Amino acid sequence: MAAPLELYIWKGDWGLPSVDADCLTVLAYAKFAGAPLKVHKITNPWRSPTGILPALKTRENGSVSQPSKIIINLRKQKYNADYDLSAKEGADTLAFVSLLEEKLLPALIYTLWVDAKNYVDVTRRWYAENITFPLNFLLPNRMHNQQMERLRLVRGDPFLEPGEELEKELYQDALECMTLLSQRLGSHKFFFGDSPSSLDAYVFGHLAPLLKIKLPNGKLQNHLTSLDNLRQFCTNILVLYFPSDVREPPTRKMSVQPDGGDFDNEPHKRRNQFLSALVAIGAMLGYAILTGIVSLKDIRPQGAIESSPLREEEEEEEGEEDE
Amino acid sequence: MSLAAEAFVGQIAAAEPWPESATLYQPLNDEQILLSDNASSLAVQAYLKMCSLPVRVSCRVNAEFMSPSGKVPFIHVGNQVVSELGPIVQFTKAKGFSLSEGLDDVQRAEMKAYMELVNNMLLTAELYIQWCDDTTAAEISRPRYSSPYSWPLSHILAYQKQWEVRRKMSAIGWAGKSLEQVYEDVSQCCQALSQRLGTQLYFFNKQPTELDALVFGHIFTILTTRLTSDELAERVKVYSNLLSFCKRIEQTFFEESDQSPGSSRYSKGPTLT
Repeated sequence: MAAPLELYIWKGDWGLPSVDADCLTVLAYAKFAGAPLKVHKITNPWRSPTGILPALKTRENGSVSQPSKIIINLRKQKYNADYDLSAKEGADTLAFVSLLEEKLLPALIYTLWVDAKNYVDVTRRWYAENITFPLNFLLPNRMHNQQMERLRLVRGDPFLEPGEELEKELYQDALECMTLLSQRLGSHKFFFGDSPSSLDAYVFGHLAPLLKIKLPNGKLQNHLTSLDNLRQFCTNILVLYFPSDVREPPTRKMSVQPDGGDFDNEPHKRRNQFLSALVAIGAMLGYAILTGIVSLKDIRPQGAIESSPLREEEEEEEGEEDE
Repeated sequence: MSLAAEAFVGQIAAAEPWPESATLYQPLNDEQILLSDNASSLAVQAYLKMCSLPVRVSCRVNAEFMSPSGKVPFIHVGNQVVSELGPIVQFTKAKGFSLSEGLDDVQRAEMKAYMELVNNMLLTAELYIQWCDDTTAAEISRPRYSSPYSWPLSHILAYQKQWEVRRKMSAIGWAGKSLEQVYEDVSQCCQALSQRLGTQLYFFNKQPTELDALVFGHIFTILTTRLTSDELAERVKVYSNLLSFCKRIEQTFFEESDQSPGSSRYSKGPTLT
């Protein structure tokens, strides 16, 4: 019997059920609310019912895509994780979600998609390796441009370029946001008491990628790991609600190691290099011989060889002079 | 403002006292200014009044282009020019005037979160209604925005601004929203603010903070500005504690110095009814 609700999200890695912040948010909320979902972990956003991920497909109401819309949809179907919240807590939820989106999300986008080292080494590589051919050539670049454009529009500066100054500003805002969240969480298990709510889902969705994805340029990550209660909060949710994903061994560690990494990945690299050099030289030689640039003659009777082309030339010259 | 510039401004700011000649610049009150800019300007004025810092309001046609960040309002204090409420709050803090010092950490976290909520929802909704709703854009926003300029500059500037706002809306995912959904978001935001305010005098009980100034600026402007339809104002009027909050701030901070916060936008009438 097919479940009435189907959720399409990005695949997971690094111990996370999904690598995308929005997908994580929606997934966490669904788990908190106890919604029976059939989860499709895919790597091709064009296969999702709305064309972007995350997407929720319902039997009656078609498909919806943004996290807030998905959460509203789930709530309408009586899967509500905010049921026990007081009015003030509901208001606080809205406020803190706005804080997350304004202060933390730009920095998260920057660190994953704009920062050159992170983007090339981790993000683009993951997406290129995991998205099916031929989209893996198109999509990562397109997503990079989309995120840059979004950052430019949100900051109101059409000539924004990735650089140290922008990075410092964004990170400062994000660090402040994380500290504020940490202060609000205090020593509680979840933001509002003992059972998780939608705010927990949003915070988890945005912080878990930072915590788990190993980035070469990890300033944001370092600050997050220094905030013990937030780190504990994320690990707690991962262990409680996504135990099967946490047990996945971290296969990515090797590829991010700086030095011997390349050779670990490709044990036949030397052999391949040698073979390709050989093939190239062989091709060049073959071409040269066939077109006569290089001529192969017997070396042994040396005198004869040296004199015969000369004689031939002399004969030709004499022939020409005669004519 | 970049970090280096901020630190520099902060240092210089701390050195000098607040001069008498501080000026706040905004677009023309009666013909040019739009809902969102008016709200921001009023918020800054309210904040400065709450800090008891005198400032003269000067209306200029090109205020938006004079501003260092492209947004109004901005204040000119001594040698420095600072725009938008966030940097202005930090600037006054460097000079020793702060409204939020008495708050503990959790309260400060909440204050910042609610300020982001207002910016995220109310301000964005105001921009949406002004520029993405075709009737409002054609009847009110474009004519007002381009009123000081002659054709063809007026045409070009108005459409440029509209196009810029629309692109921003699609970048943050608001382009797909219908007007009804935007009104719904405004209601939700006001409900959250109303619940947070409760029966208290100000958001953090006895003393007003920058959050109160910001909320006042937006709510008051929404209530006193007539657009093509009254839907927005009606949605906000439902929350009576917000109404009395606005009235109270107006009476406390604006009427004592005999300055009306400029409520006559499109309707020549006094303040809140």
